[in-house]
Amino acid sequence: MSEFFRQTLENGLTIHVETMPDVSSAAAGFLVRTGARDETASLAGVSHFLEHMCFKGTPRRPWQQITIDFDRMGSTYNAFTSKERTFYFGWVRRDDLDRQVELLADMMESILPPDEFDTEKKVVLEEIAMSDDQIDRHLYDLVHEKVFAGSPLAWPVLGTSQTVSDMTREQMHDYFSQRYNPANMVLVAAGAVSPDDVVASAQRHCGHWTARGARPPRRPPAFSPGGTAVARLDRFKQQALALVYPAPSAVDPADETAEALASILGGQNSRFFWNIVQAGIAPVASAYRIDYCDNGLMLLFGFCEPPNCERLIDAMQREVDKVIREGVTDDEVQRVKNRRRTALATEGEAPYHRLMQLAHDVDMFGRPRSVSERLAAVDAVTADGVRDYLKRWPMNEQPWLISVGPRSWPNQ
Amino acid sequence: MSSLPKRYFHRRLDCGAEFAAEHLPSRNVVAFELRVLAGLVAEPAEKLGLAFQVEQTISKGTEKRSGQELSSALDALGALHGSWVGRETIGFRCTCLPEHLPAVIDLHAEMLRTPTFPDESCRVSIELAQQELTALEDDPGELSRKLTLRHAYGPLLGRHAYGERESLQRISRDDVVGFWRQHFAAAAMQIAVAGPVEPRRAADLFDRAFAGFGTARGAPAPVSLEFAAGRWHYHKDLEQQHISICWPGVSITDPSYPVERLILSILGDGMSSRLFTEVREKQGLVYWVGAWHEHPRTGGMIHLGASSTPARCGQTYATLLREVDRLAEDLTPDELQRSKTQIIARSETHGDMTRARVGELGADLFHFGRPVPLEEKNAAIAAVSTDDIRRYLVEHPRDRQCVVTLGPQAEAS
Repeated sequence: MSEFFRQTLENGLTIHVETMPDVSSAAAGFLVRTGARDETASLAGVSHFLEHMCFKGTPRRPWQQITIDFDRMGSTYNAFTSKERTFYFGWVRRDDLDRQVELLADMMESILPPDEFDTEKKVVLEEIAMSDDQIDRHLYDLVHEKVFAGSPLAWPVLGTSQTVSDMTREQMHDYFSQRYNPANMVLVAAGAVSPDDVVASAQRHCGHWTARGARPPRRPPAFSPGGTAVARLDRFKQQALALVYPAPSAVDPADETAEALASILGGQNSRFFWNIVQAGIAPVASAYRIDYCDNGLMLLFGFCEPPNCERLIDAMQREVDKVIREGVTDDEVQRVKNRRRTALATEGEAPYHRLMQLAHDVDMFGRPRSVSERLAAVDAVTADGVRDYLKRWPMNEQPWLISVGPRSWPNQ
Repeated sequence: MSSLPKRYFHRRLDCGAEFAAEHLPSRNVVAFELRVLAGLVAEPAEKLGLAFQVEQTISKGTEKRSGQELSSALDALGALHGSWVGRETIGFRCTCLPEHLPAVIDLHAEMLRTPTFPDESCRVSIELAQQELTALEDDPGELSRKLTLRHAYGPLLGRHAYGERESLQRISRDDVVGFWRQHFAAAAMQIAVAGPVEPRRAADLFDRAFAGFGTARGAPAPVSLEFAAGRWHYHKDLEQQHISICWPGVSITDPSYPVERLILSILGDGMSSRLFTEVREKQGLVYWVGAWHEHPRTGGMIHLGASSTPARCGQTYATLLREVDRLAEDLTPDELQRSKTQIIARSETHGDMTRARVGELGADLFHFGRPVPLEEKNAAIAAVSTDDIRRYLVEHPRDRQCVVTLGPQAEAS
């Protein structure tokens, strides 16, 4: 049975630990509460570029030593940046946890080596070029650009070629100095760990950090009134389409109900699968909820042959109308619960997966949630609850229709 | 070969299937993999894509249930299930809570033994495969892989699951049923199970479920890898140029496989690997670069891959090959030790996941015909010396290679 521990160092760094008695490995990571939505327009992409730079040199290690030290432990390690957070992590054998925490902590004091800045900028520009060849990324970015117009949530996590090219090391250093401090960071660990050992590691490796201000508060974005946005991109062969509706935030009590509805509409063995994919309309038709700290989106999307755009959108709309009119069945809700039960049991075996969930929960809720707590939330979902959800988060009002691909549909 | 640790169990079941289990009593879930030894290589040449059609439609209805009812029955048990088509297998994998294992096995047996392949599902499946071929055009990484396989692996092992537009048009429901009848049988199956289930009990459950299934007498003979060297470019309007290089390696059962595995790790595993360091971190040429090997049963292929904007493609290509060649000149013991630790440590950390354990076990059955304990694999890795690496590089020179580029620029260099 997992247990949770929390402690805060004098400098304000909070530590959350989950002990998992039946595993032999351990994972740890530093959550930095800053992401793309916390940037200014001219610095769009700085959080992500900075994440790259944290691998490029510290007061104690040149960049090659950082990666050598990760690999000497056989760590499964990386970092990611999202709209709302940056997370650095490593998964190691239990005896290596202190070394892992030390290395990650060292990276949090990056010197952002000036002579590495331009080289790494090239890497980020290659990453942007690579994502420009992916139609799903264009769809995701256009959804955010339109739905959250006027808000930093509209900007891509990677930034643009222009903002990244123009970025200076000094600008990045200012951002780094403001955001990477104990008031804005959390150490999380999970697995075969002793909470006392993790706290002692944190004290040794992070105790000297100086607290500064927390990240500026975020403003909840407005959901722009629905409309249509088309990006004609001739290089792609498929059309990517999405219907976008407002949805609850990650911390809303309707969180699991929203997830269940997305699963019933567009998950495995879902209405979309049987009535759209298995009708031959499109190889992909799915539903996905995007959850931010203060808002969310319900994204119904698909990829189809360009002549099938009308059929795909009509079919998705038909399923939405049906769920509004008739609701969902108890049996459908139960199927979602059953799958989630197994998925949560699987997650409970792997420190890596628990670490990812801890980072999410600590960021969103300010505390970890156990597998059993989440299971209870899943179990509380009912067909009536889905009906109530649809009253609060109506899907019969004008959604955003986003279209990306070689066809200018529905404009032409 | 040393005797198996007690947590492993291996035997040929009375039904004819080969069975192996790893008993992991403290785990939350049980996972299994079931492989039918017939994949892309078993397709008639004029009906490429047929194995994928069988895999896609076998779950769309049984003598007892519609496809939707079958999916719902699995959902009622919380079974997380999926399937895949490989060069030499069609596979089915599943994870569930231990108490549901008997019922989940029965449902899989029902699916594999009594599929009805409904006409409409077969028709739609072909239509969707045509659409998947369109989708493939928008996935440069997978498209590059498909083109590489076609050129490098020969006419049988170089096939892609989706087939070709023309060959899909020739596939009928009768072909799907015929493939299933010919190849799906207990004697042509390998089953791997891991988790908190007593292996003999799991063996009995599978044995009962598949007793008397099918007429095939066993696995077909392995297909030889027919490597073809050459250079090909495919023009495509992309931001980046994709570079794919491959040449023959050794099979997983070859005594020098652990040596090759370490070479690939030194080249491409982790951010301190040579390719990541030299191509990405020192020169900023790419975001993605990788080295890996793939293994049909009779051989192996070493792959290098990267994608970069066209102006940097030539330099990327040259650096990739230079790093392979440099390995023989300046490999250090520290570098070798680091790669050993990476492989061994990750086998332990990832081994905390039952799904990862059953994946290993399934691959062991496929390649070795027996479970290969983690201890045995890790001991083989630990025993490799720098001399072994140098010897391998001399004995397996990169003298023939297949190079495929995809993108807006005519040549890699």
